[in-house]
Amino acid sequence: MTVEGTARYEKIDFLGEGQFATVYKAKDVVTDNIVAVKKIKLGSRSEAADGINRTALREIKLLQELRHENIIGLLDVFGQKSNVSIVFDFMETDLEVVIRDTNIIMTAPHIKSYILQTLLGLEYLHVNWVLHRDMKPNNLLINEKGVLKIGDFGLARFYGSPSRPYSHQVVTRWYRCPELLFGARSYGDGVDIWAVGCIAAELLIRAPFLPGDTDLDQLNRIFQVLGTPTEADWPDMKCLPDYVTFKEFPRHPMKEIFTAASDDLLDVLDMTLAINPARRCSASQALQMSYFSSKPAPTPGSQLPFPKSNKIVDKEKEAKRLSLKRKQNGSDAGGMKKRLVF
Amino acid sequence: MDEQGCPRCKTTKYRNPSLKLLVNVCGHSLCESCVDLLFVKGSGVCPECNTSLRRTNFRLQLFEDPFVEKEIDIRRKVLRDYNKKEEDFATLEDYNDYLETIETIVYNLSNHINIDETKRMIEQYKKDNREQIKKNQSKLSKDEEMLESLIEQEQQETLMRKAMIKQDEQREKAAKRKHKDDLIDDLMFSELSAQAIITSYRESAKQEEEEFKAKSAATAFSTGIKIGHQNNVVPMSRTEQGVMYRYCPLVMEWCGPDPPSMDDIYSDGYLKNIRLASDAEKAGGFREAIACHRALQEAFCGLFSYPTISPSPLKQPALAASMSH
Repeated sequence: MTVEGTARYEKIDFLGEGQFATVYKAKDVVTDNIVAVKKIKLGSRSEAADGINRTALREIKLLQELRHENIIGLLDVFGQKSNVSIVFDFMETDLEVVIRDTNIIMTAPHIKSYILQTLLGLEYLHVNWVLHRDMKPNNLLINEKGVLKIGDFGLARFYGSPSRPYSHQVVTRWYRCPELLFGARSYGDGVDIWAVGCIAAELLIRAPFLPGDTDLDQLNRIFQVLGTPTEADWPDMKCLPDYVTFKEFPRHPMKEIFTAASDDLLDVLDMTLAINPARRCSASQALQMSYFSSKPAPTPGSQLPFPKSNKIVDKEKEAKRLSLKRKQNGSDAGGMKKRLVF
Repeated sequence: MDEQGCPRCKTTKYRNPSLKLLVNVCGHSLCESCVDLLFVKGSGVCPECNTSLRRTNFRLQLFEDPFVEKEIDIRRKVLRDYNKKEEDFATLEDYNDYLETIETIVYNLSNHINIDETKRMIEQYKKDNREQIKKNQSKLSKDEEMLESLIEQEQQETLMRKAMIKQDEQREKAAKRKHKDDLIDDLMFSELSAQAIITSYRESAKQEEEEFKAKSAATAFSTGIKIGHQNNVVPMSRTEQGVMYRYCPLVMEWCGPDPPSMDDIYSDGYLKNIRLASDAEKAGGFREAIACHRALQEAFCGLFSYPTISPSPLKQPALAASMSH
């Protein structure tokens, strides 16, 4: 007998809630594996009238065809009444949690390991003509073995056809590249590479590298750090739909911003954060740079730092709150001679 | 997650560093923009617990846990009436019992336990002790007096310290000026060579500076808080040993003849028969060679695949390329 659909997955825990979906931790009763079940929200009535959410469709269609160590694995899709649920590999945490956990000390081999795994997944995507379009630490999931997988393909799509204009309103702002901010409707793998550069920088400084408040502020921040591009740096940039002229900022040498980074890592940052998308390296080119093959070797997954589980922290908090209520029956009231301090 | 965020719009402090969380009497937080949105009319209900709230009662959330804010509110209210001091009780035990009662009331009110009963208890207490409550309210407690005098003392000390620092700075400036004048005088009238004079002066200046630094480094606050770095960095373990990475290109299974590489496309004239990318496309990082590359790959891919070998080509899309790793 085959067990299918909802019956196959026993809900264990609530993991999180996003704009479009709720995620649960569940056990697959057939294989006994722990999985993540993403239940797509139907949204408002007007959205529901159009049928299933398009980000969910994108995610399902693309992930069905992709299999790679560093890409989140799609295990199953099932429907129940009008709901659609997607079953993924269970991933304990994500890079955003790791970056923010101040108990974790990030060493050069750790950083190399994270960037390497990200680029390996990205190279596979790009070779298969898929753009992720929402690369950010939050979407780089990490399991307990220290394997990093690219997740959330809600914005991903195929690229490389000349006749179709794409939306430029993609990628979380802080990781959005200059050509998207200038409204480019045709673009390539550079949008993901730029985001990887921002993530690498974030790993180094342990804070978002370019946290812009608005799209214009984002461009301003980019140019303040990397210098305003000139006509020679980026020919044709004036042809972009939303081009605006910016104040001319000088370029800050990367060495001054990332004082702790090795020279070959600075080269990677220089290449991934090239303002002109034509000069930006591809994932394959980045992987061939000396940074990845030189010493120190990337940390093996099993030794990567792992944040203290959020759930455990929550339970501790709960216990503390309950202990606030003191026992009223006071069995030791007789010997109580010291003043209570609350 | 140890992260503060708005429960309604899910924005977190990390994503929006300028996020302002506000809290109302019910102890549920909301971010500023959600409050603006929900309480346009000045009043409304809490999206979490449906308590009706007024916009004016929203205040900045100081503690990470909004529950604490709620408890503080309640405690303040309760303590306004329960304002007896230790002196008002005959024995320490009585006083401790009294403190326990307060804690129970605060706990019950903030956790919605026996609300009606607790409120009745407070009313009863108010009625029974009306006179004493009034008396205690009017008299400034000893504690407060002491606190005020402490603050005043601290303020005076700060002023004195500031004056001293200013004096020190002036003295240092004067010394420097004198130093410079001496140097020029010496250069004008001394028999020694200019080089020797300058080096000797430079050394003595360095010495003085170091002395000054040593003096100013040993500062500590009167409150006992010590300034300066504490050296408690745990030495890193050096056990990590990874395998060096070596690049190996991805191998694709085409199920057909190998499509031309990107280099071939440029060198073999494939681009002659294709629409060139416009300036805007080029600026966005798109090149005609990319489209050409993909079109050729798709044309070549699966040419050797026959329906008899793989009965349903739909189930094995061209892109399900197997990995070499």
